[in-house]
Amino acid sequence: MKQRTLFEIVVLVMAVAAGAVGPRACAKEVKLLNVSYDPTRELYVEFNHAFARHWKEKSGDTVTIQQSHGGSSKQARSVIDGLPGDVVTLALAHDVDAIAERSKLLPADWQKRLPHNSSPYTSTIVFLVRKGNPKGIKDWDDLVKPGVKLIPANPKTSGAARWAYLAAWGYALKKNGNDEAKAKEFVTKFYKNVPVWDTGARGATTTFIQREIGDVLVGWENEAYLALKEFGADKYEIITPSISILAEPTVALVDKVAKKNGNETVAKAYLDYLYSDEGQDIAGKNYYRPRSATALAKYAKQFSQVELFTIDELFGGWQKAQKTHFNDGGVFDQIQQANR
Amino acid sequence: MNKHRTTVVAVILVTGLGWSGALAQTQDTDIKALLQRIEELEQKVKVMDRNRELTEESAAEKAKATPSVTIGSGGFAVSSADSNFVIRVRGGLQADGRFFGGESVANDSFYLRRVRPILEGTVFGRFDYRMMADLASGVTQTSANNGSIVDAYLNARLSPEFQIQAGKFKEPVGLERQQSWRNLLFVERGFPTQLVPNRDTGLMVHGGFWENALNYQVGVFNGTADGGSSDFDANDGDKDVAARLFAHPFKKSSVEALRGLGLGVAGTIGDHKGTPRTYVSDGAQRFFIYLTGTGTQPNVVNDGQTWRVTPQAYYYWGPFGVVGEYVVSSQKLRQAGGGAGAGSKAELQNTAWQVEASYFLTGENNAFEVVSPRKPFNPATGGWGAWELAARVGELDVDDNAFPIFANPAQSATKAFVWGVGLNWHLNRNVKVQLDYEQTDFTGGNANPALAEPEHLVLTRVQFAF
Repeated sequence: MKQRTLFEIVVLVMAVAAGAVGPRACAKEVKLLNVSYDPTRELYVEFNHAFARHWKEKSGDTVTIQQSHGGSSKQARSVIDGLPGDVVTLALAHDVDAIAERSKLLPADWQKRLPHNSSPYTSTIVFLVRKGNPKGIKDWDDLVKPGVKLIPANPKTSGAARWAYLAAWGYALKKNGNDEAKAKEFVTKFYKNVPVWDTGARGATTTFIQREIGDVLVGWENEAYLALKEFGADKYEIITPSISILAEPTVALVDKVAKKNGNETVAKAYLDYLYSDEGQDIAGKNYYRPRSATALAKYAKQFSQVELFTIDELFGGWQKAQKTHFNDGGVFDQIQQANR
Repeated sequence: MNKHRTTVVAVILVTGLGWSGALAQTQDTDIKALLQRIEELEQKVKVMDRNRELTEESAAEKAKATPSVTIGSGGFAVSSADSNFVIRVRGGLQADGRFFGGESVANDSFYLRRVRPILEGTVFGRFDYRMMADLASGVTQTSANNGSIVDAYLNARLSPEFQIQAGKFKEPVGLERQQSWRNLLFVERGFPTQLVPNRDTGLMVHGGFWENALNYQVGVFNGTADGGSSDFDANDGDKDVAARLFAHPFKKSSVEALRGLGLGVAGTIGDHKGTPRTYVSDGAQRFFIYLTGTGTQPNVVNDGQTWRVTPQAYYYWGPFGVVGEYVVSSQKLRQAGGGAGAGSKAELQNTAWQVEASYFLTGENNAFEVVSPRKPFNPATGGWGAWELAARVGELDVDDNAFPIFANPAQSATKAFVWGVGLNWHLNRNVKVQLDYEQTDFTGGNANPALAEPEHLVLTRVQFAF
């Protein structure tokens, strides 16, 4: 009798526990966290609305997507440190590699899981100057002239800044017959002209536009167009250099986090939807270069023609570029040391 | 002459115009240079400002990731940057004195009522732990050190509505028992607390709804005698179920006077074996004891179901507060020894009630929890702390059927009635001085010299708790 009473109590407690916890598992409201880099705020605000609508029609579930933005590498570090992103949409593949390598939250071959090496849209590095182009900026060479103040972000923390660094390096390599020493000399001069070190692309935009510092904002093409749209084409001009880099921001499912949150299916669908017609159209509308031929054709007029090289062509991929240039003690650190 | 003069004038004019043109050109160049210089300086200032801004942002980011160490009236705490891991060191002591008036047979004494180091905190955000020991001699009339583990438990905050707590902690029953030892209105808790369990070991599910407007607690415990604590169930394998429901029905009301009302009901049920507890006055004089002995002597033990029910309420409004509770404790007993009534069984129902009220003369908002003085004690700044007047009245009534089989009517009182007044001086959140006068009248037990006349008692306390 005594044992039966105790048994009944245990069963009762478990039933109460199941009652309190159970309904959450069956909830039709889903919350997803997208950890992204700095200038994608506007893109994902629009895309999230579209996806939520699409998902509601498809599954009946209401999905709310929360966004987290910051310098790409900083964001990767946050995920490694525990920020529970179901998906990451970062500026460069190396930052996602770092998450896979250090936290094991997703497999090492994550990049093969989605088309175009998990890069649903691309961009490049351009120059934004003040109206009238008072410093006469036309190409990379003009950026290393004395007295020209450049505003890129810090390559240690920002994906855009890393792409900008590699774009400058690539230009110098191509101009000087792949002479690494001359490229280093060029990039050293480039960073000598930097007065402020923002941690992310959006911060650099703030420095250039709102704080009115510097002559040239060196950064994302999409960010430059957004600045024109938001702050006025009568105040700024975009200068497209003769050569630049094909920047391929990447997206990935953070498997273990999504699984733990019960969001695996919706998170996968979220990333897949970036490749849909609507997803590609939204990317183009927000000044990212879409992958789909249809969307690219639709928005072709808004992008200048520029010769683009890839990171694989000139730097042997992200792993190598990261190790050579951006790791502690790498070429960028040496340049900084030389400029002090 | 005129020709010369004309020539001179012409030369002067031409030269003057030339100078003027050159001067204008020079001034224009200077202005341009100045403007450029100003622009450069302006840029430098902007760069300095922006760099300072970025440094501040960076410092703020770093601060977010830096563990924090705090020390204050809440104790010493170390917390991880995200507050998911916290360790806090707290504690307190109560140095008491009790002084009997009249012809009391009890000794006046200074003693350490409580000396309690506390270690508590959180791991992984939702798992709270607490360990509290007591190193004091307590209220018993002995010089021995009764050091014990008072609290030792882990609480999993799965959600505000559903939490699971396991270990040793207060059973969710008596109202005054739920009040922290550091916030007591009088030096000793009232009679109802003697009829409800103290700490017990077990498992409890609890939570709150509507921002704790309604709280529930349901638990399974070893089961203790009235007023007792338990680390281990040595008497029987049966368990008690304890439950409590407490509501603040007007917590969100726009009528301020109603917000401080809290009311609820609690109870326990379970089979008990073992020895029933005695009851004592606030002066720690034993006024009721069940018969106990060995061999052929009478010996009373628990023998079956014990249940308790306690409706309870409090009300606070501004500086005023009142707390009241009533307890019925029913227990099945057996005279298990020899002598008169050997083998007799009975179900006895003892009851107790209490009402205590208080008022802050210095205007602080009264509360069930710790009160912060408006002006902590500091004569240099005119701060004299918070002063609180208190009064209480209460009674413990032993079931008449306890006599004479289960208790000796000549030695044990069938009823104790207490009234008392107190003055509490809260110097600050951590230091409190209490002075109580209480009188307890006993009915019965006339052959017991301790009960021959009312207990006139002055209790003092100096308390430090953080």
